[in-house]
Amino acid sequence: VKPPPFAYARPESLEEALTLLAEAGSEAKLLAGGQSLVPALAYRLARPSHLVDIDRLPGLDRVGLEDGALVLGPLVRHATLERARLGGAWALLAEAAAHIGHLPIRLRGTIGGSLAHADPAAELPAALLALDAELVLRSLRGARRLPAAEFFAGPFTTALAADEAIVEVRLPPPPGVARGAFEELAPRAGDFALAAVAAAAAVDGAGRVLWTRIALAAVGATPLRAPGAEAALAGAGLGEEGIAAAAAAAAAECEPALEAGYRRELVAVLVERALRRIRREA
Amino acid sequence: MRIIGTDAPRAADRELVRGAARYVADVDRPGQAHVRAVRSPVAHARLHAVGAGAARAQPGVLAVLAAPDVPDVRIPIRLPFAALPGAERALQPLLAREVVRYVGEPVALVVAEDPYAAEDAAELVELELEPLAAAADLAGATAAGAPLVHAGVAGNLLARLEARHGDVEAAFAGAHLVVRRRLTLPRQTAAPLEPRGLVAEHDRRSGRVTVWGAAKVKHWNRATIAALLGLEPEQVRLVEVAVGGGFGARGELYPEDVLVPLLAIELGRPVKWLEDRAEHLVAANHAREQVHELEIAAARDGGLLAFRDRARCDQGAYVRTQGVLPALLPLYHLPGPYAWEAFAIESQAVLTHRTPVGTYRGPGMTEAAFVRERVLDVVAGELGLDPAELRRRNLIRAEQMPFSFDLGPEAPPLVYGEGDFPAGFERLLAEAGYEELRAEQAARAGLGVGVAAAVELGGVGPFEEATVSAEPDGTFVVRAGVGSLGQGVETVLAQIAAEELGVPLERIAVRHHDTDDVASGFGSFASRSTVVAGNAVALAARKLREQGGRRAHARYEQEHPFFSFGAALSVVSVDAATGLVRAERHVVAHDVGRAVNPALLRGQLAGAAAQGIAAALLEELPYDENAQPLALSLADYRLPTAAELPEIQTVVVEHPVTGNPLGVKGGGEAGMVTAPAAVANAVASALGAAGAGVDRLPLTPPRVRALLRAAAPGRPPEPAGPGAAPGISGARR
Repeated sequence: VKPPPFAYARPESLEEALTLLAEAGSEAKLLAGGQSLVPALAYRLARPSHLVDIDRLPGLDRVGLEDGALVLGPLVRHATLERARLGGAWALLAEAAAHIGHLPIRLRGTIGGSLAHADPAAELPAALLALDAELVLRSLRGARRLPAAEFFAGPFTTALAADEAIVEVRLPPPPGVARGAFEELAPRAGDFALAAVAAAAAVDGAGRVLWTRIALAAVGATPLRAPGAEAALAGAGLGEEGIAAAAAAAAAECEPALEAGYRRELVAVLVERALRRIRREA
Repeated sequence: MRIIGTDAPRAADRELVRGAARYVADVDRPGQAHVRAVRSPVAHARLHAVGAGAARAQPGVLAVLAAPDVPDVRIPIRLPFAALPGAERALQPLLAREVVRYVGEPVALVVAEDPYAAEDAAELVELELEPLAAAADLAGATAAGAPLVHAGVAGNLLARLEARHGDVEAAFAGAHLVVRRRLTLPRQTAAPLEPRGLVAEHDRRSGRVTVWGAAKVKHWNRATIAALLGLEPEQVRLVEVAVGGGFGARGELYPEDVLVPLLAIELGRPVKWLEDRAEHLVAANHAREQVHELEIAAARDGGLLAFRDRARCDQGAYVRTQGVLPALLPLYHLPGPYAWEAFAIESQAVLTHRTPVGTYRGPGMTEAAFVRERVLDVVAGELGLDPAELRRRNLIRAEQMPFSFDLGPEAPPLVYGEGDFPAGFERLLAEAGYEELRAEQAARAGLGVGVAAAVELGGVGPFEEATVSAEPDGTFVVRAGVGSLGQGVETVLAQIAAEELGVPLERIAVRHHDTDDVASGFGSFASRSTVVAGNAVALAARKLREQGGRRAHARYEQEHPFFSFGAALSVVSVDAATGLVRAERHVVAHDVGRAVNPALLRGQLAGAAAQGIAAALLEELPYDENAQPLALSLADYRLPTAAELPEIQTVVVEHPVTGNPLGVKGGGEAGMVTAPAAVANAVASALGAAGAGVDRLPLTPPRVRALLRAAAPGRPPEPAGPGAAPGISGARR
C-alpha cells in the first residue's frame, strides 16, 4: 500500500494551482480531501504523475446565497453540508451528505472531490443532479458553466478537462414550497449504496405536483435523472397512486449493471419512501 | 484473598489506551531493509520463469528471490491429529515452484532500502505464466475431469473423514419425519485489524536470528523455522510484541515466517515485512467454506432419532499448518448437545484453486452448529413445535453425564464429561425473556427470534509448563508459553498465580513473549490457555508456596479436551421491502466451569458473538469464475461496525468441573459457535413461510429479498409468527 512515485506541489493560490495543472499535462491530479484518491494511490489504482494539493487553499470552502442560489465552494466538506441548515428541496443535500462514509471521511472529503471522482454509487452527484446544480469549471483558458446533467460521462469519468478545476457549485432556487428527501440502502453504515434516491417535489394546495426532480445513484454508469418517474408523479400527483407510478417508472428506467433485479426493486422502494416523506412534510 | 472470579482490569489496557503499545510495525532495527512479496495474479498456471532483471536494476533494490533461491521445503502440519495420511501431498512451498495454485501465492520477494522502492520494483518482476484451467470452486473441483490442484491428489479429494454411531438405517426407517436440507457456508476469514508483520535480525557472531511479530504458537514456529532453514532451535528466537487480534489466522506458520528470517541471514542486515490489507485477504488463511447435506429423522413427539450429513469442505490450494482440521472438526461437533440414537457423517476435504483454508474462531464447530441448528428449526416447524421446546426435549440430561457416543471399534468414543445442558439452556431462555419475545414477535411484523445450542471442544492438550519465581523485591514472575492476542491471558494467569500465592495482583508479572525467556509452550488456540496453562501456573504457584525457595516449575497435562455447552438467542428485524436485516439483540450463554475473570470472559463472549453476527449477515469472500478473489479491501469484506451490532448480553454459566484443579473450561470461541445459527434462525422466523429457504450465509439484502420473492412473488410478505417455518422438502411419513 505504498503509492507509486509522483511529484507533489502545494500551491498558494487557485491561479498557481491551475498553472501547475496546465504545465503538468494529462497525468496530473488535484488532491483535496483525499478520501478517494489516497486509497486509490495506495492500491496503485491511480498513478498520477503530479499531485496538486489544493486542500488548504483559502476561499474555496464558501457556503453562501447569491440571488436565491446556493453557492458552494469546491472545498466544502461533507460534514459541513450535513450540518448546514438547508431547508426545502435543499434538505436532500444535507441528508445525502450524512450517508457518506464515516465522520472522519465526511470531515475531510469535499464536494468538488466527490463530483470530480464521479463514482456512480456516490451520494452527492445524484443529489446535485436532482437539484439542477450548475458547475463552474476554470482553467487558464477561462471559465465555463456546465449543468450537472452534462458533467458525468461514465463511471469515474467526467467532462472535466485535464487542466480544469471545479471552482464552484451553484444550485438555483427551487420553487419555494418544494421539499426534498434522500433515501439510501447500504449493507453497512457508510458503505457505498446498493441504490440511492434523491427526490424533490413542490405540491399545490390541491395536491397537484408543480415541480419534481428524481435522481438515482448506484443503478447506472452515472447518476441518473428519472424523467419517466418525474412525469408519472407530475401526472398522477403525490398520492399513493402517483407515488406507485413514479416508483415503477424509476425501477424501469434505471440501468443497474449488477444485481439488476434486486436493485430495480430497491429503487422502487426507495422512491416510494422518499416521496412519502416529502408528502408528509409538504 | 479471592482474586480468581474478580474483574481485574487487563494488564495490557494502560498501554493500549494511551497508544503506547508496541506493535510489530513499531519495531525498527538499525539498517533494516524492506520486503515486498510478488504474488500470483492468476489462480492456476505453469510458472516458466521469474524475470528479476528489471527489478534488480532499480535504485535501492538489494535482492530479488524466487523459488530456486530458497530451500525446497514444505511447511509442515502443526497438529498431529489433523495430519491425516496423504495430507502431506498438498503442503505449501516457501515460494511457488513450477506451478502457481491460487491468486496471492507468493512467487518472489523483493528486498529494498525502503518499502516504496520495494513495492515499485515488485511491479517490475516479470512472471512468465502459462495459464491453466482452474478448479475455481467446490463444485468445479469435484466435477468429472476437473483440473487437478496437486497431481498426486486424484479428483482433488484430499481426505474423506467418517464417523458413525448406532444403527442409522433403522432409526431413519422408524422415523415419523425426515427433513433434508443443503446448507452453504461462505468463505470467510478472521481479518484481525492488524495484518501480519515480521522483523528479523541475524547476529553474525552468535549465529542467531531473532524474529519479532510472532503470535499464537511461538515455540512450534521457532522449531519449525529452524528445521526448515537447517538451524538448531536455539539459533532462532521468536518475540511476541503487542498483537492486534488473531482469531486463529494470525500466528500460524506461513511462508513469510520462514522467508523473512532467511532474508535477514542471507543479506546480513535486518529485514522488515508488513503485510497490507489486500495481501492479507488473499495470503492469510481463509475459513468456513463448506456445503453440507444434512438429513434429520425425528419422531412424532419431536424426539430426535438420527442424522446423516455429507459435507464438502473447501481446503483451498494447499494444506497448511492446521492440516484438515476444518473438515475434521465438524465430525465431532455435528451431534451437538442432543441424545441421538444414531448418526453417520462423511466429510470431504476438497482442494480448490483458492487461498488455503485454515481456522477462524470456532472452526468446524461454527459450521456444524449452523447446519444442525438451522435444520432443527425446520424440523420444529414441520412438527408444529416451538423451536426451544424441540431442543428442550432432546438435550442430554445432567444425569446422563458422562455421556458418550460410541463411534465403532476403530475410533475413540465422543465423550461429554460434565455439564448440565438443560440448565444452561433454560438459563439462556430465562435471561433473554424467551416467552415475552415470542409474544412480541406475534405482535410485530418483521421481528424474528432464533435460538441455537451447541457443544464446543476446548482446553486441548497435550500439556503446558509454567514456572513461578520469587524476585528479591517481593514480586513474582510467572512464565508460560501462551500467546496474548488481545484476549487478556496475561491478566488471567496473573490472577491465578496471585490467588495461589496469596499476594496482591500487582506483585505478579507474567512473561510469555520471548522464546529465550520461556522454555516451552504449545501456544494459544482452541480455547486452551486458561485451562492448560492456567492449571500449570496454579500448580507451580502452589508448589512454590508449599515448598518455599526461589522458583518452582510445574507441568500440567490435559489428556482429554473438554466439551462445554453454549447457546444463543438472537432477535432481528427484517425490512421485507429491501431485505435488510437488523440485529436487534443477541444473548449468548456459555458454561466455562468457573470464570477466572468474568469481565474478560464477557468481553470474549461478546466479541466472538459480534463476529458470529457478522458471519451471518455481512462477511463473505467472493470469487469469480476464474477463481479471482473479489474482496481485496475492508470496503468489500464487510466486517461489522458498531452501527451493525446490537446490544450483546452475556450469560456466564458456571457448572462445576472436577476434571482439572482450577475447575475451568475454555471460553474463547463460544460466542462465535452459536451466533450464525441463532441469527439465521431468527431471520428465518421473521420471514414466515419464506424462512424455510434460509440455507446460505451471509443473509444479505439481495438474498433475503430473493427468498421473499420466491415465496410470494409480487406480494408483500406475511407477518411471521412463532415456529412458522414449514419445510418445503420435508417428507412426512
